[in-house]
Amino acid sequence: MKKKGADRSQILDRLEHHGGLTPGASREIHKETGIPEADIYGVGSFYSLLARPEPKHRVCQGLSCKMAGSDARVAELKAAGTPYEEVSCLGQCDRAPVAIDAQMELVSWGPRGRVSPASADLPINLAGKEDPNWTALAAAKQMGAEAVLHALEASGLQGRGGAGFPAHLKWKSVRSQAETTRYVVVNADEGEPGTFKDREVLLRRPHLMLEGMAIAAWVADAQVAYIYVRGEFSAERRAIEAALAEAAEHVGDLDIRLVNGHGAYICGEETALIEAIEGKRGMPRLKPPYPTVQGLFGMPTLMNNVETLACVPAILHRGGAWFKDCGRNEAGSKLYCISGHVVFPGVYELPLGVSFNELVQAAGGPVGTLKGFSPGGASSGFLPMSLADTPLDFQSLAKVDTMLGSAGVVALNTTVHMAEAAQWQQVFFEDETCGQCAPCRIGCSIQRRAIDSFLKTRDPADLEHVEDVHWEMEAGSICGLGMVASKPLQTAIQHFPEDFGQ
Amino acid sequence: MFGAGAMTNSIPEIRDTELMFVIGSNTTEAHPIIAMEMKKAVHRGAKLIVADPRGIWLSDVADLHLQLKPGTDVALLNGMLHVILHEGLYDADFVAKHTEGLEALMASTVDTTPEWAEEITSVPADSIRQAARMYATTKKAGIYYTLGITEHTHGTDNVYGLANLVAITGHLGVKSAGLNPLRGQNNVQGANDAGASPIYYPGYQRVDNPEAQARFEAGWGVPLSPDPGLDLNIMMKQMGKSIRGLYVMGEDIVLSEPNANRVEEGMNALDFVVVQDIFLNETCRFADVILPAACFAEKDGVFTNSDRRVQRVRKAVNAPGEARADWEIICDISRACGYPMPWYNDPGEVYAEMAALTDQFAGITHERIAAEGGLQWPCTSPDHPGTPTLHEGAPIIGKIGLQPTTYRSSAELPDELYPLLLSTGRTLYHYNSATQTRRAEGANELQPVNFIMMHRRDAKMRGLRHGDAATVRSRRGEIVAKVDVSAKMKSGCVWMPLHFAEANTNRLTNDAGDTTTNTAEYKVCAVTVEAVQSS
Amino acid sequence: MSESIKLTIDGQSVQISEGQTVLDGARKLGIEVPTLCQDDRVDNAGCCRMCLVEIDGQRRLQPSCAFKATEGMNVQTASNKVEKHRKMLLSFYLADHAIDVDGLPAERGVGNTLRQQAQTYGTGPTLPAIHAPRVARADNNPYIHFDPAACVLCGLCTRYCDEVEAVSAISLAGRGAATTIATADQIGLLESSCELCGGCIAVCPTGAMTEKPSLENVSAKAEQVRSTCNFCGVGCQLDLHVEDDKVVRVTSPPPGTTVNDGNLCVKGRFSYEFIHHKDRLTTPLIRNEAGQLVPTSWSNAIQVAARGLMGVRDKHGTDALGFVSSSRCTGEENYLMQKLSRAAFGTNNCHQCAAT
Repeated sequence: MKKKGADRSQILDRLEHHGGLTPGASREIHKETGIPEADIYGVGSFYSLLARPEPKHRVCQGLSCKMAGSDARVAELKAAGTPYEEVSCLGQCDRAPVAIDAQMELVSWGPRGRVSPASADLPINLAGKEDPNWTALAAAKQMGAEAVLHALEASGLQGRGGAGFPAHLKWKSVRSQAETTRYVVVNADEGEPGTFKDREVLLRRPHLMLEGMAIAAWVADAQVAYIYVRGEFSAERRAIEAALAEAAEHVGDLDIRLVNGHGAYICGEETALIEAIEGKRGMPRLKPPYPTVQGLFGMPTLMNNVETLACVPAILHRGGAWFKDCGRNEAGSKLYCISGHVVFPGVYELPLGVSFNELVQAAGGPVGTLKGFSPGGASSGFLPMSLADTPLDFQSLAKVDTMLGSAGVVALNTTVHMAEAAQWQQVFFEDETCGQCAPCRIGCSIQRRAIDSFLKTRDPADLEHVEDVHWEMEAGSICGLGMVASKPLQTAIQHFPEDFGQ
Repeated sequence: MFGAGAMTNSIPEIRDTELMFVIGSNTTEAHPIIAMEMKKAVHRGAKLIVADPRGIWLSDVADLHLQLKPGTDVALLNGMLHVILHEGLYDADFVAKHTEGLEALMASTVDTTPEWAEEITSVPADSIRQAARMYATTKKAGIYYTLGITEHTHGTDNVYGLANLVAITGHLGVKSAGLNPLRGQNNVQGANDAGASPIYYPGYQRVDNPEAQARFEAGWGVPLSPDPGLDLNIMMKQMGKSIRGLYVMGEDIVLSEPNANRVEEGMNALDFVVVQDIFLNETCRFADVILPAACFAEKDGVFTNSDRRVQRVRKAVNAPGEARADWEIICDISRACGYPMPWYNDPGEVYAEMAALTDQFAGITHERIAAEGGLQWPCTSPDHPGTPTLHEGAPIIGKIGLQPTTYRSSAELPDELYPLLLSTGRTLYHYNSATQTRRAEGANELQPVNFIMMHRRDAKMRGLRHGDAATVRSRRGEIVAKVDVSAKMKSGCVWMPLHFAEANTNRLTNDAGDTTTNTAEYKVCAVTVEAVQSS
Repeated sequence: MSESIKLTIDGQSVQISEGQTVLDGARKLGIEVPTLCQDDRVDNAGCCRMCLVEIDGQRRLQPSCAFKATEGMNVQTASNKVEKHRKMLLSFYLADHAIDVDGLPAERGVGNTLRQQAQTYGTGPTLPAIHAPRVARADNNPYIHFDPAACVLCGLCTRYCDEVEAVSAISLAGRGAATTIATADQIGLLESSCELCGGCIAVCPTGAMTEKPSLENVSAKAEQVRSTCNFCGVGCQLDLHVEDDKVVRVTSPPPGTTVNDGNLCVKGRFSYEFIHHKDRLTTPLIRNEAGQLVPTSWSNAIQVAARGLMGVRDKHGTDALGFVSSSRCTGEENYLMQKLSRAAFGTNNCHQCAAT
């Protein structure tokens, strides 16, 4: 029960200042704040950066890093006696293998990734000159909120976080709520394995995101905007802070709060992210109610992904139709991340709906002979090369029972055994499931055990329940993570039966 | 109050209340299950005002904590009355219809401004104002109190003050509102209801009322005395004087009565003492005869709880050895003394005899309780459903007389020799004289010895640290207790529980009684505290 | 509140109030929907997933406990999809639970809802045990035991501790498969803010939270006797569990049936050791000439007591006697005590200690 004046939303910050969930930290913070100590412990123990706060190298175990030899780096650190932990994908797949060091700064053992060459015809134009002139916000105010919504609708912009929900519907919904206290939240908790596009926006074009956010807040009539940035992103946070310092004079009285993540993939899920801002365990909420109706602190909340917001200024400058025409079957350009077995991994802004083959060509061609790919992050599973000409957009991929998601594309060549690739991804989901609901919590463990034992025995019988378990995870889980958390194993078996002795 | 000494409303109504004014009740420790209802109400968004000298669990979640000096309740309540009456926040309609004496109450509170009350209580005037306004302007607002209100020499005035608040705001006969004394023991209500009182027969029929006397004389077949008897506090003081013999059932008076040293002297001066209990308690040291009794799990009967709910107690196991149910023992004693108690087959027949003599219980039988669950009196006929909320429609006594009260200080206040104000109470883990809970493993691990809660400054001044043993002394006696330095205490005030026979807090407490009820002033006396001298 | 919402569940029509859930509607119709994490005393979490149903217009199965009913809604509680889900989910739970020799969830003297549900609804394939790394704490508190192997992480205990008892001594802790129920830093309950009310035991559907005193020695067959608590004035109803003429456990009647609404405090639930304590008085005692208390027979004790009381009356008058009755004893006993005082001795010197 809430004690008067005990504000839970400060738990995570305070734990961070205490150097993580060290013994006694819960009691100290309890004494400082009146928040029950078990609650503090329960919250802190959920987030890996707080639960295991010791200074050390955190070595990425993402698919691309695994393929680029992260195991060898771990072996080196071990031999040198350097403290280390193997951690979930750090979102640096284009420069794999990577780690973050004890000061939370990036250590990359790979080449620097690329981005699309600068071009005035790209809505985001990562390589373009960062020019924080804030004219889009002024234009928005000039044209009025309804006109902004019309432009957004005309642009066909779909949420770039993974679900592809039409942006204008979300904005309208929040704007139409009777409750007048509203929030805008920027989801900068990029964590889907294989994905690093928001990272590039934050580093190269932060003001586009800030301006999009300011426009969203103005349209939604929100007084406070939160930016929730992934805990492992240090350079990115500094870039936001620098841009915020410049933004101060342009955003008027919008109260902007930068909130740090603390190591939990699930907080990329919008309701889990809201829980995290409220200082709780990042466990997704039941939907309905949706955040647009009851979100942060129970109030209507407009949450958008970094890339989504970064598209908004161009839409207002050049019109919805122009943006729409940047895409093929679906609207706009898209920041595609590609890593793994291609010559130049990186972030390429291409028409929404290019195929995997086209994307590989944009990235300088394949390395070796490709056997398959992951189209949209770990959650999308794996596809065979027979589907390499499928448009990488929301609808086309849904038709082949997968998804574009965050467009974190990974190319795999014939050196990769799909059972191993599937195992790496299942380890990720077992580590990152929040544990709230049984289908996901138990299902992740069952699938992980199944692939572990198959890799030991090579006996297909170890995999006999994979489909049933996958079915239940999809049908019974609370949130999207559980629904897709066994996708890697299920699709690997489906599309690459030869790697599973079938 | 208002014609019935009980909660006006029901416990399950609490969860739906809009405001609770909790005064003189550490509800989470003394009545944990009622506190759960209060927590539920807070969870739902109800406002909570707590008046208590200590920081208590409820004050942590309260909208307002009025941390008054012990014994200054009348001043606080008159300050609130002043605000409500003189800001015109009272329910004029209810007052006109159902009360009398408004002018006198108005007049008596002209000068009792919040600023005046702040001087006495040390509660900020603004908080008093805010509390009064919140209480008066909320429809479903209930008052909850317990012994922190009654165990004072001005306990009756405290209750009048609360009753005035309820009456002028019309918070009576309304669900989830009312005036609600939370009873300390399982069957305080039932014992009072059954006439264990020097002035009342069962059902609050006065012994000096000739009609009542005639009714019971007819029922019991003997002439009865119309003279009110002595209350317990006076009995204790008269031991060895007018009182020469005692029959004590289920009560450890040496431990639970105030000024224990004087109680012991009095017990020694008695000619004859019978004690009937389940354990060999402190009072047994003075007994001539000790009769082993059955505990609640070993007998049948009823307990009546705080909200007037008559519920069954059922025999689950046999009593140990030769122990017998109290009701059987009393009957045997009575017969041996020449009065022929009927040969009751079971307590249901005893209840039926009482119900036949008491209109309020006339509809209650063991059989009905078995079939319907607890029944709340008044329940006047076999088809009466019982009364969850009293005074619905109109007060049962007709017009409520508003009672002006005047602040008087407690009988014994701190002075140079005894500079600290001691208040007493009960903890969550123990129960009263603790003959039962101190035989429970868990409670003893949590609270093995008597302790004294004090403010850090008071401890430091005396060279005491948390955990030190200290001698606590009053004009009446001294004991040793462990120092508990606590941020919950106001400086100048200390607090001790009542559960420890070997360090009986009641050796310190004052037996000065309330001017009307003679209830003793457990809640305020003066003490001095010092480190135990190492010998 | 008016019952303004009409919906159809399994082809049957039902009216319920706005704000009520699909589960409320099903229960009103007498349709059994299994739940593990639902209890009327706390907010619904919808996390155990046992109560999922199909609702027309909803893409996914939805938790009936948390899904608000709306006008015209059409619900299936036992469709093929729902039944397949239940069986699979129970298979999942079994893979993460202490199992008895019969292959069903273990029972520890208290009912295990999971076991009953596996029996009622059947399970899907037998899945390999996952051996989740949930940790238990070393805890020397005398009353409450936590067995992580029997925990389904429904969170009822932590929600009860927060929302009902409001002490928040325990919380869900850790993440993923390692999620467990913990105090801060896994300290013992005695060191925590726990008030030992035992509500966690009362709400636990599987017996993961159990009573230490009765951990080993209670069969589910103990006879239950409904009575009233003998501590404070709330009047909580108790079920005394009796085996071999001993009270071996105390529980509350179900929520919604009595004044305590399924709740008890530390005293009501656990302080029953005194009943069978060795210090109980078991025989009448009288003080002999040497001033010592010695055992005697009942008939003698009654005679001595009666003679003593009558002696005082004869010597000093009837008002020299005082009768101290007890708020701890029953109403009938108080009635008889005042009757003794008034009818047998003719004095109104009868009182009970209403203080403290």
